[in-house]
Amino acid sequence: MAPSFQDIVEEARLSARALLDYGEGFFNPTVRLGVTGLSRAGKTVFITALIHGLTRGGRFPVFEPYASGRIAKARLTPQPDDAVPRFAYEEHVRTLIEQRRWPSSTVDISELRLVIDYQRQNGADRTLTIDIVDYPGEWLLDLPLLSKSYEQWSAESLALSREGPRVKLAAPWHAHLATLSAEGREDEQAALSTAKLFTDYLRACRDDRFAMSLLPPGRFLMPGNMAGTPALTFAPLDVATDGTAPDGSLWAMMKRRYEAYKDVVVRPFFRDHFSRLDRQIVLVDALSAFNAGPEALYDLEAALSGILDCFRIGRSTLLSNLFRPRIDRILFAATKADHLHHSSHDRLEAVLRRAVAKAADRAEVAGAAIDVVALSAVRATREATVTRGRDKLPSILGTPAPGEIANGETFDGETEVATFPGDLPADPAELFNGGFRGLSSASSEKADFRFLRFRPPLLEHESGKEPTLPHIRLDRALQFLIGDRLQ
Amino acid sequence: MNEKTPHRRPATFKLDDPGVVVMDSDETGHLARGTVRITPESDPSLLPVPIDMPLVPVRRGFRWGTLFWVAVGGLVLLGTGLGIVNLIEDLFARNESLGFVGLGLAMAATLALTVVIAREAFGLARLATIEKLHLRAAEVLLSDDRESSRAIVVDLVKLAHQNPQLARARAALAGHADDIIDGADMIKLAERELMTPLDQEARRLVSSAAQRVSIVTAVSPRALIDVLFVFVASLRMIRQLALLYGGRPGTLGMVRLMRHVIGHLAITGGMAASDSLIQQMLGHGIAAKLSQRLGEGVLNGLLTARLGLAAIDVTRPLPFTALPRPALADLAKDLLRKKDDEG
Repeated sequence: MAPSFQDIVEEARLSARALLDYGEGFFNPTVRLGVTGLSRAGKTVFITALIHGLTRGGRFPVFEPYASGRIAKARLTPQPDDAVPRFAYEEHVRTLIEQRRWPSSTVDISELRLVIDYQRQNGADRTLTIDIVDYPGEWLLDLPLLSKSYEQWSAESLALSREGPRVKLAAPWHAHLATLSAEGREDEQAALSTAKLFTDYLRACRDDRFAMSLLPPGRFLMPGNMAGTPALTFAPLDVATDGTAPDGSLWAMMKRRYEAYKDVVVRPFFRDHFSRLDRQIVLVDALSAFNAGPEALYDLEAALSGILDCFRIGRSTLLSNLFRPRIDRILFAATKADHLHHSSHDRLEAVLRRAVAKAADRAEVAGAAIDVVALSAVRATREATVTRGRDKLPSILGTPAPGEIANGETFDGETEVATFPGDLPADPAELFNGGFRGLSSASSEKADFRFLRFRPPLLEHESGKEPTLPHIRLDRALQFLIGDRLQ
Repeated sequence: MNEKTPHRRPATFKLDDPGVVVMDSDETGHLARGTVRITPESDPSLLPVPIDMPLVPVRRGFRWGTLFWVAVGGLVLLGTGLGIVNLIEDLFARNESLGFVGLGLAMAATLALTVVIAREAFGLARLATIEKLHLRAAEVLLSDDRESSRAIVVDLVKLAHQNPQLARARAALAGHADDIIDGADMIKLAERELMTPLDQEARRLVSSAAQRVSIVTAVSPRALIDVLFVFVASLRMIRQLALLYGGRPGTLGMVRLMRHVIGHLAITGGMAASDSLIQQMLGHGIAAKLSQRLGEGVLNGLLTARLGLAAIDVTRPLPFTALPRPALADLAKDLLRKKDDEG
């Protein structure tokens, strides 16, 4: 698509902003850390654990500036944007430590600023500011829409809804769609009902049994304060990709609303939070895709590659810093690594490496540094070996969240269990060839993997002080993401 | 999935189930048939390798000392040059043939000086390469970066090229170059292949130096001879270690190495003292009961061994990860055993 006038204006706006930021950054070095991840990937927990670890003194042996004692102090300061809610850090910590629950799913954007006082290796005192943004992961799915027209999006959404386990879930919407005529007169009631059925279908795909990821537009799932507005009342129609909409038709109405959605929702979101990142961590929850089945894994791969295409990645130069900031380090992190024995972490990393191969190659060619890591921001389990007959199963011990089901038994959130989630194959290609069964196609006894959801760990308060949160490789992630800025 | 490890199905066991027993790994008890046994493992939060102390403290600020020595050196060189030019002019004024002899000698001296300086510079550069390699390897062990691990292995092989004993190890390593091995594992592989023979040789060098020192101290008539001998033997040992691991230190290189070794000893000495103090006092005490000189000999030998260990840390191009770091206890054992053999 040739760049429209609107795109050019947008670019100019972004460049002006970048120039302004560069001037500020001169006196007050800032790292904009993009915490990217689909919903339930663990963004909120990651941010909470990162802040908690830095401000309360966590165990970070691999994070060099911290381990060697050069970081004097990390503190929270008021954020730069007055219009964005503050990240409810204290509340999330309380939920995690005292109630032993995971923070509930994020419904709106929030922001926090962390300032690190440190001493450089040559002895000079410096500060580094880290801006972190938390947002519902669903919204991220909107970014690829920026480069698609309504017709393209319609065609893709329809094609997708006719594949695999989605067909069954989309049946009511498909039935209603068949009654609509795209060229017919515009009709608010028809638009309302088709949008509702479409949203129901998207919501159904998200169920744990299917764990689909590629479900744009994201605001349909997490509308925030936009619920019920015309910008959120549209749906794909069965129209030709290269056709033009007749005036006054249903098609034209939908198209107008789709464009409005991009203008009102997607573009500002991208401009304010993603166009100016320096470092990025992409959190991926591969385990729920293993639970659900091969289709969920393909979906995850497609969603990730679509999203990562939207970011500006490459080596930072003076010119790029001035006008078009680029992300020069990306860390792909397979979250919830504590749900596996550490001997399987390498295999989990291999799966993630395979899933993001395209995006990672592109980033490397552009000159960005990339790394893949299996991490757990808050470690909920311990490890154990289970000896059953002659078998020795590398397992984990933990308390499953209430409502989790295994062996046909529902847990109450108090019983401790040892679980062996199933062997990951040495070669990740086997998973991507569809060689395993998940909950979407088999009953829970037949599935090849079962990753239970665990409650946060029980932590002991030491002499009235807040305990530190245990983690897996959070320090390595930090070292990669900001270690070089704290030299 | 290969035949060796068929996919194992997921399984969940409740800890309060009567058929499940939780026990530590050191407990051994007979279990009834069909009982599932769960052994909690130690906390793997210590899993990631802790960072080693940097071998060489990071330089801070401008190096005024270096500037001073460079400037003074330049002045001395200029002065000497001026003196020689004057001398040759005088010689020509007195007798032409004498002048030519003087000129020839001056040129020979200049040539030799150039070669010596070049060799020193080369030696220093090589030491710096090894130190940098060590740092890079330590970094890769943390970051697990595949690309840079490849680069390090290539540099290592280049460094090891001069050592004919490593021909087979180099070939084996080159064979793995195309395999898919993670960064940290690649470094460990290289360490196992290339460093095993060198480490054995290094250990032999250190223990033989320590042994010599202890014997000489035990029999020497004067303390001054002890001190001189210990100094010479230590220098020789450090030089041999550097040569073994691929460095070729000249005089300046030795000065630099010596500084790093002593600096490293100062950092690690405290730790080493705590874990081997008892054993050392025991050895010293018993030996001293037999004879005071013998006791001093053992003590001096142990000190030399400790210096040797620090020198190994500094001269080795890779940090110790896959292979065990030689401990003072091993060397002390060598020292006493050989003594027994001879005694």
